[in-house]
Amino acid sequence: MIDYKNTETEETEVVPVVEFNLDMEDSVSEYEEEIELDTADVDEFVRQQEASQIHHVRSSKEQSSENKKHGSQKKRRIVGNTIIHIVLVIMSIIWVAPFVFILFESFRVESTGLAGYIIPHKWGFDNYVRLFTETEFPRWFLSTFLMGLFCAVVQTIFILAMSYALSRNRFKGRKFLMNAMLVLGMFPGFLTLILLYTLLHEWGLTGTNAPFGLAIIYVASSGMGYYVCKGFFDTISHSLDEAAMVDGATKFQIFYKIIIPMSKPIVIYTILMGFMGPWGDFITASFMSDNLPQGFNVATGLQSLIDGQSSLNEYYTTFCAGGVMVALPITLLFMFLQKYYVAGVTGGAVKG
Amino acid sequence: MASVKLTNVKKIYGKNTVAVHDFNLDIADKEFIVFVGPSGCGKSTTLRMIAGLEDISDGTVEIDGKVVNDLLPKDRGIAMVFQNYALYPHLTVFENMAFSLRLKKVDNDEIYKRVTEAAEVLGITEYLTRRPRELSGGQRQRVAIGRAMVRDSKVFLMDEPLSNLDAKLRNQMRAEIILLRKKINTTFIYVTHDQTEAMTLGDRIVIMKDGYIMQVGSPSQVFEMPENLFVAEFIGAPKMNTMRTRLELEKGEYYVSPFGVKMPVSGEKAEALKEKGVEAQDIVLGVRPEHITLSNSKNPCAVPCQIRVKEMMGSELHLHVTTSTDETLVIRVPTVDIAPHQLAALLPGVRIYVTFRSKVMHFFNAESEQNLLTEQKSIEGKSEESAEEAISSDKEPKTENKKEEV
Repeated sequence: MIDYKNTETEETEVVPVVEFNLDMEDSVSEYEEEIELDTADVDEFVRQQEASQIHHVRSSKEQSSENKKHGSQKKRRIVGNTIIHIVLVIMSIIWVAPFVFILFESFRVESTGLAGYIIPHKWGFDNYVRLFTETEFPRWFLSTFLMGLFCAVVQTIFILAMSYALSRNRFKGRKFLMNAMLVLGMFPGFLTLILLYTLLHEWGLTGTNAPFGLAIIYVASSGMGYYVCKGFFDTISHSLDEAAMVDGATKFQIFYKIIIPMSKPIVIYTILMGFMGPWGDFITASFMSDNLPQGFNVATGLQSLIDGQSSLNEYYTTFCAGGVMVALPITLLFMFLQKYYVAGVTGGAVKG
Repeated sequence: MASVKLTNVKKIYGKNTVAVHDFNLDIADKEFIVFVGPSGCGKSTTLRMIAGLEDISDGTVEIDGKVVNDLLPKDRGIAMVFQNYALYPHLTVFENMAFSLRLKKVDNDEIYKRVTEAAEVLGITEYLTRRPRELSGGQRQRVAIGRAMVRDSKVFLMDEPLSNLDAKLRNQMRAEIILLRKKINTTFIYVTHDQTEAMTLGDRIVIMKDGYIMQVGSPSQVFEMPENLFVAEFIGAPKMNTMRTRLELEKGEYYVSPFGVKMPVSGEKAEALKEKGVEAQDIVLGVRPEHITLSNSKNPCAVPCQIRVKEMMGSELHLHVTTSTDETLVIRVPTVDIAPHQLAALLPGVRIYVTFRSKVMHFFNAESEQNLLTEQKSIEGKSEESAEEAISSDKEPKTENKKEEV
């Protein structure tokens, strides 16, 4: 048996032994006599320990130097913020300037061609009136708008369904499918233009029927844009699906009663993207139109207004008015749907 | 209200990752059974197989005498509460609770009645119009329980329902689940990794490890008579101290000598060892922290040790001490027994003497890690009858699923 009493430890410090008399009746023991507990060395040890624990008090000198440090940090922060703000302001001016120029040009009445100045001498709505009366803009606008709506709806359905399937189901070839689509998506869409044109031409969906052909092209590959949406679905806890399953919901009910209402931001995003694709497309649309004004969409139509020097002089301001009209629906859409981008829809679903 | 029977249930992931090995268990009607074990032991997988959220690789699950292997979760008559609540965030509390009834096309009056009744029992009536994100963790968990309650299901499954709550709320909700159980009076299967929850809630506890059942028994059975070292260490906090030593038999008396200190085994444990005819052998000795008492140098059976860490818990003191052989022991001392100046002296570095209470020592086979008193296989030439006798005196501990000896 080893007795540690008053032996020296590695730190060559004498430590006391604290003795107790708490043995229970079944505590293994073989002694009977009453023992006396010596606590003198224990008390001394406690005093020493307490003395060593007195906190180090900071001197006033140390404090003032620390205050100075805080002061210089504050100054640095102010300088940093100022630089960041200046850069941001310059960037926003660069960003907004073209739009403001076009807006000014569209209200210029005194001339219709290019001018060497920005602010019009005479303001008016003449260019807008010309746009809607003298050109086929209303037709282009309407057909593109309808095409955009159609694509937005169909594409959203495709993408949501695709993303949900890829997010929730595990099936053979899932990984391959996802990778294949990722690789295919890296090629620019217009690589297939010649093939697509030949195909649509065979079906009679070019020229005056171009809007229908374009709608098919836009919608056909929409499932490939599943990344963002799938990423969002992946963040929704699977236990919600399971809870709904236990509650008696079918897969489809889980999709439209639980997942879709929770995914408003991503649904809105998908709709916007679905609309903006056809709305801003130029390359595909110009190919499919066979250069017939009836087959133009807004982008190709507007471009046709300033095709050549003479028409540029005559229609430049009208073209600018058209540009403003094209920007309008998208801007409005974004303004109204902005709030859905604000996160927090999933808040409270699961402990975060 | 139903019994649940699991027969040779197996879960195999992929080709050969076995998550649950032959799982056999009879759960009686209205019983509260708790699956407990460290993470990855297969407890949640087993629960999910009962719920129907996980395919059953082999074996059968019966609910109320009917094999439910191929039934959808909704047709099994179960309700489930998830760890992360899994409330539908876009629906109000009322609609969350009414969701399953709406899918079943129950009429509105009935839905209103059932939801308000459940809300009243759970004390969430005033929150019925709120959305989950406006509720606190405890309230959300109550809604999750309410959602399960309105379904009038035969079996109530709970997957770590309190794990996401803070300690104080967890204690409170634990007490509420005990009360709730009296009100609902149905079969409960509760999964947790927290042995305190298991001990306080369960009628019976199923302790699992690596997909095997280690022991099934009432809280007091698993605490007082752990069948193996794993159960012994898992149940009880701080965990049981274990030390390799030798069980000696001298003149009909048993002795153990941990850390070179020879101490006699007395009381019921000694009787039980004698009755079972246990021979001298290498063992793992288990002593719970609360069964170690502070002693003094005059006691020849006292183990000298040095305090490393002192944890003051208020009503009790946890001391981590090292022995002469550099092994660590944890000791739990009620502070009420110690004079204030002595309490202050129990500082890291101080030497103390401790003794083990022999009545509550545990003896495990050094190789198989099975409890010497419940071990079924004869150790050396011991008759089968005496083994059975020893077991029957332990209030029929379940041994059918015991892990194969390593």
